[in-house]
Amino acid sequence: MSIQINDVSKSFGSFKVLEDISIDIPTGELVALLGPSGSGKTSLLRIISGLEEADQGAILFNGEDMTHIQTTERKVGFVFQHYALFKHMTVFENVAYGLRVRPRKERLSKVKIKEKVEELLGLVKLESLAGRYPSQLSGGQRQRVALARALAVEPKVLLLDEPFGALDAKVRKDLRRWLRRLHDEFHITSIFVTHDQEEALDVADRIVVMNDGKIQQIGTPEEVYDHPNSPFVYDFLGNVNLFHGRLENGKLVNGHAEIEASTAKESEGREAIAYVRPHDVVIERERVSKEAVPAEIVHIHVVGRTVHVELKRKDVDEFLEAELPKEQYRKLALEHGQSVFIRPGQLKVFIPEDFSI
Amino acid sequence: MAGQIPLQLGAKKTKSQSVTEPPWVRRVLISAALLFLALFLVLPLTAIFIKAFEQGIDVYTASITHPDALSAIKLTLLVVVLTVPLNALFGVAAAWAITKFDFRGKSILVTLIDLPFAISPIIAGLVFVLLFGSTGLFGDFLFEHNIQIIFAVPGIVLATLFVTFPFVARELIPLMQAQGSAEEEASLTLGANGWKTFMRVTLPNIKWGLLYGIILCNARAIGEFGAVSVVSGHIRGLTNTMPLHIEILYNEYQFSAAFAVASLMSILAIVTLILKNIIEWKAAQREQQEDVV
Amino acid sequence: MKKLKLKKHSILPGFGLSLGFTTFYISLLILLPLSMIFINTASMSWQDFWTTVTEPRVMASYRLSFGASFAAASINVVFGVLIAWVLVRYSFPGKRLIDGLVDLPFALPTAVAGIALTTLYAETGWVGQFLPFRVAFTPLGITIALTFIGLPFVVRMVQPVLQSFEKETEEVSAILGATRLQTFRKVILPEIFPAALTGFALAFARALGEYGSVVFIAGNMPMRTEITPLLILTKLEQYDYAGATAIAAVMLVISFVLLLLINGLQWWTNKRIAH
Repeated sequence: MSIQINDVSKSFGSFKVLEDISIDIPTGELVALLGPSGSGKTSLLRIISGLEEADQGAILFNGEDMTHIQTTERKVGFVFQHYALFKHMTVFENVAYGLRVRPRKERLSKVKIKEKVEELLGLVKLESLAGRYPSQLSGGQRQRVALARALAVEPKVLLLDEPFGALDAKVRKDLRRWLRRLHDEFHITSIFVTHDQEEALDVADRIVVMNDGKIQQIGTPEEVYDHPNSPFVYDFLGNVNLFHGRLENGKLVNGHAEIEASTAKESEGREAIAYVRPHDVVIERERVSKEAVPAEIVHIHVVGRTVHVELKRKDVDEFLEAELPKEQYRKLALEHGQSVFIRPGQLKVFIPEDFSI
Repeated sequence: MAGQIPLQLGAKKTKSQSVTEPPWVRRVLISAALLFLALFLVLPLTAIFIKAFEQGIDVYTASITHPDALSAIKLTLLVVVLTVPLNALFGVAAAWAITKFDFRGKSILVTLIDLPFAISPIIAGLVFVLLFGSTGLFGDFLFEHNIQIIFAVPGIVLATLFVTFPFVARELIPLMQAQGSAEEEASLTLGANGWKTFMRVTLPNIKWGLLYGIILCNARAIGEFGAVSVVSGHIRGLTNTMPLHIEILYNEYQFSAAFAVASLMSILAIVTLILKNIIEWKAAQREQQEDVV
Repeated sequence: MKKLKLKKHSILPGFGLSLGFTTFYISLLILLPLSMIFINTASMSWQDFWTTVTEPRVMASYRLSFGASFAAASINVVFGVLIAWVLVRYSFPGKRLIDGLVDLPFALPTAVAGIALTTLYAETGWVGQFLPFRVAFTPLGITIALTFIGLPFVVRMVQPVLQSFEKETEEVSAILGATRLQTFRKVILPEIFPAALTGFALAFARALGEYGSVVFIAGNMPMRTEITPLLILTKLEQYDYAGATAIAAVMLVISFVLLLLINGLQWWTNKRIAH
């Protein structure tokens, strides 16, 4: 089922939680709503599910207006961060709940319900725990029960609110892969909320980056990571180095560096900032171009196959972070205290609207 | 269902109907609850004051300044002064033993503390008659030494001690259990002795709970009727507490006088409720502060 | 009790003093007096005891006490859950005040409550005059008095459970297609059930032993409106110590059983909240 979100706005008093949000999600897509806490992503998810109502705008499922349809009738699956399992029911009863509360006419027979629940428990690999109560399960198991419970009603839309937020790192990674596989198998249109950029980049088909109740960027993981359209997105998705400077003759002048910047003519003479990801910082032993600036290596630490290098620029009093593969690090024979030259490989220049950054 | 309602729904409507009740259901439920409370709580309370002043302010003042009324007030105060501190002391000792140490028979002890709550006040009075009454276990002994307990003030004090016995302990045990012993242990390792540790660490931590228990204990001590009724003998001006005085006035059809004394006790009850709420509020505040820290 | 042994080592002082004082105080004030009931009862022959505690007037008082207490505790469960629900879930003017007022029956002396209720429900009273049937001096009046004194128990047991209740489980239920009534029945009610039952047991135990608020409104007619605690007192005033003690022994055993039941229920409730 496709989901259309048209101009949705919501506010609490004078505080705007969501402002003119519009997203089109085609059938079968797995979308991540990514943003810091307070960005409105959870509110948006709750509005899609019908748990909350928008002040303005419409929610459409397959082109059908759902705005005033009750949660009960929307046939969505919803998974909460803290599982929200029914404590007094066993795993089996939790999963069966959605099937048992149907009106008598639509209800499956007891045998059918049992079959279906067992099938779902098999899917989440919890067959052996059907008789347990939620308090007897680990966090990862509880979240799998919650997922099975949501899937039991055969939702056309699956909504997940920070589904892995309460789990430890290892379980989180396993469950995330598992969710991806599950999605590839069933192709339920899914939206999940997260504040973890790695999670969004890892799982989603498309990422909606949100901040202050507004959409910052929508795109595939590659698009938003490699071509962020705003300083916020750049900053939020991964580490970044900043080069503050002034635009002169199409170049960003910053200390001794003159960085090629493809900006409009009107921006001449304005303050600007270049954003460079650590893995786009090139380290060289010799100065080969005007863009390069002298720097001293302050710290090196090796994490697996990647080497993180901290540098202090010699022309201006600023620190930088670079990231390079181990082979290259060996080839350059870098060491602590060494003087090198650095230049940005790929970068993006933003002209701040105001100079608050 | 998806009628063309204007999109501007107003900021007030934040939750959809599926997780709360429709407004009319809410109104019905609130009205039912309020009606019940009005009928059972507000109406009786109001009636007490109206009946008290029915025959005018002069009858009212005369009723509460009558020598018998005054002696009942005095006796009630005496009982409170004797019983509340003793039960407070017991409550602290019991809570200390139960929450700071592990020993065999602890759960039996906790159950025993609850016992007076489950027992009829009439039985609470009866047991003291069986002990100290003229035909009781110590009856002959007391008679020989010319000591009167039943139908005298000591009996009233004992019966009141019995019924108000659990209040302070019941408040302190869960509180001190939640607080644990880490602070006391830290104090001891820093060189404070046991008494100083109790005064400077434990007591400040439990003061609101202790006060709460004392207030509940106090309210019950003032108002106890059944147990005191059994042991008092209803001797006017001598062994009548305020509730017993009310009973006598009421049975003699001196309704205004009965309600006048009753109104005094109702004011005390209202003050108790106010204090109780203030303490609850203070304790909640303290908890919040601790959460922040 | 003599073999109390410190199970776990503790550096905290005052164990001997505090436990010693506690046991001494309880023994003297609670155990010794209560044991008198059983000692005195034991001196009766079984035949005498049985005749005393099963004579028609006593049996009538049990029926009345149990019946009225059960009815009052049941009313309190229904309205207690309702009041707790309204206080936790809805907002309306005067809510704080009403929340504080719920404890009035704990603070108001029972005799005061007794005369106030009697005045209201007497045939000429504010409420009584509008009712087509008699309330004061009937079992109905007794039930009203017992409802009054048991009112706070269910409210105060259920309120914290509702407060700590996860809103999300209700939301999940709605999303899974349950109607509001189904959510209440299948999700909310099972969660508050242990607390409501504990409140019921507490209100019932309190009502069984209650005396002060009942004597005024009961009319105290033997066989008709005489509750068991009053019967004990009547026998005592007639110097029938053996009769009073025997009935008290029956009441006491019932109280013990109820207390054990309540402790079990409370443990169950706390386990629920702790999850």
